[in-house]
Amino acid sequence: MIRAAGAVALAAVCFLAIAAAFFLLIGKPPLQMLGTMVLYAFGDGYSLSETLVKATPILLCALAIIVPARLGLISVGADGQLYIGALAGTAVMLAGTAARGWWLLPAVLLGAMAGGALWGGVAGVLKARIGVNETISTLLLNYIGVLLVNHFVYGTWRDPANLGWPSTIPFPPEATVPSLFGTRVHAGFLIALVGVAAGHAWLVRSRFGVELRVLRENRKVGDMVGLDYARNAIVTMAIGGAIAGIAGICEASAIQGRLQPGLSLGYGLTGFLVAWLSGHSFVWAAPISVLIGGLIAAGDALQLYAKVPAASATVLQGLLFATALAVAGVARRQGARNG
Amino acid sequence: MAEWAALAWFAAMLRSATPLLLVLLGETLTQRSGIINLGVEGQMLVGAVVGFAVAATIGGPLVALVAGGGAGLLLSLVHALLCLGFRANQMGSGIAVWILGLGISSYYGRSFVGAKVTTFAPVLGVSPVIWSAILLVPLAGWWLYRTRPGLVWRAVGESVDNAHALGIRPRGVQLQAILVGGVLSGLGGAVLSVDYTQTWANEITKGRGLVAVGLVIVARWNPFLALPTALFFGFFEAAVLRLQAVGLEVSSYLLACLPYAACLAVLIAVHLSARHASYMPEGLRGVFDAERRI
Repeated sequence: MIRAAGAVALAAVCFLAIAAAFFLLIGKPPLQMLGTMVLYAFGDGYSLSETLVKATPILLCALAIIVPARLGLISVGADGQLYIGALAGTAVMLAGTAARGWWLLPAVLLGAMAGGALWGGVAGVLKARIGVNETISTLLLNYIGVLLVNHFVYGTWRDPANLGWPSTIPFPPEATVPSLFGTRVHAGFLIALVGVAAGHAWLVRSRFGVELRVLRENRKVGDMVGLDYARNAIVTMAIGGAIAGIAGICEASAIQGRLQPGLSLGYGLTGFLVAWLSGHSFVWAAPISVLIGGLIAAGDALQLYAKVPAASATVLQGLLFATALAVAGVARRQGARNG
Repeated sequence: MAEWAALAWFAAMLRSATPLLLVLLGETLTQRSGIINLGVEGQMLVGAVVGFAVAATIGGPLVALVAGGGAGLLLSLVHALLCLGFRANQMGSGIAVWILGLGISSYYGRSFVGAKVTTFAPVLGVSPVIWSAILLVPLAGWWLYRTRPGLVWRAVGESVDNAHALGIRPRGVQLQAILVGGVLSGLGGAVLSVDYTQTWANEITKGRGLVAVGLVIVARWNPFLALPTALFFGFFEAAVLRLQAVGLEVSSYLLACLPYAACLAVLIAVHLSARHASYMPEGLRGVFDAERRI
């Protein structure tokens, strides 16, 4: 535990040094930039709410990566699942918008979960039945997911009232994930927190969690004691997909108010980064998502006020990931030497 | 008339296949040494932006392509450092390199949106880059299967331990293999932006590098088979453009799914054939986990 904390501290210091070097390279005062970023991320109520708005899809996408990772699967498919979830949820909204009622939101959410589960499940079935590598299949499915959403919002679902802007009709209030405390933070954040607790209880701390762990660490042993790898691969990929689908419908209904292109701002990849940084732990994913959400929200603010291009946040994420991988390598080597 | 249409189609296929062919060759050679690199997507992107920047400012397509290859090489050093230096997970490291390349290319690409560049004069109807890339295929195949260094790379890819016992320095070989993959992916990216599209767009590669990682399996880790595999993908890309041009009643977004869907479909087909796993370098098995389970 102390060693783990040391590794985290080392990673943080290394990352701050590299980030400072990056700001120097692009000609901005590094310390001032880092200070401003903390301020824009967590400085006041508004900044904090924007941070949580960003953290919500990131945490949901991270959970979508962590669930299959408990079985040792490396999925990168959260983005595609997010898009297909939003697509399916929007289909339910469009079908039910004439006869509105309290039931519409649950139906929309279930639709989104089903869509995401389908997209994740496809990769799960391909992995379980014929051994197609899940990392590659989920990456390909991401591109198809984005294009399918474009197909519908530029096509049959386009609202003529938008004067050519490609998007569906607005989500009616009955189909919108409600906001919290009158801010842009929405109930998706609570769903994500429930997901963290449920994931930890059901996929780590339970008998099922032990099953997944046995199969992850030694599939032959798992086979011998009668555990079903194929079934679990499909189930975990589908559950992950369902969670990413929720992220999609929350973004479409609560943040953008309609389904339109550019639904995800790289949340899937960022979620992958968070999942990795957390060591595929549900519990750690929540605070790390808030930190990374802060980084991205601050990046948006810096773009507005300090004319720092939005791409800087992506570069910083890449640097953070590379630093974390390097520090984990050092920690492992130290562990092997001492233990 | 029909002949011209067929020729035009074939030329379009060659043009869109070439960037992919270069990345595919590079990733094939990298994987033959037992290293998988998803970062080729990011390396392509930096190759594309640096190549385009050089072509748009200094000028000269040849210098631009060399610069693109160099950029790919530099970024692939990150993958080498993480995988070989820090023994990081190869999938994770590749994705870190991808994110880095994505950020760097959109950061430096901002000022080139809308710019145009000129490229080589055509030879036999298409860019000489295409003929050079095709010539590279037998060269890479001959090198891998018929020379001593090629044998050494394949030995490392089969088993790092055995190679070590034979007096080979496996990490050194894998470093070379990652860097060769870096040059070829950067070059592929530069060919894409400088020679093919001749304009800059954010995320210009649209997943070609990731598709290439998948297609390595389809090409059975064999440089010779990289050519037909890349042409197959190029066929679908050309189809997207051609079918739009003739005004087919299908949305352009559905058509744009075709290359990815085709890649997934051939992956499925290849996995359904019982023997496919026997082509994989043994050293990749741990990372890739392509065991057949029914």
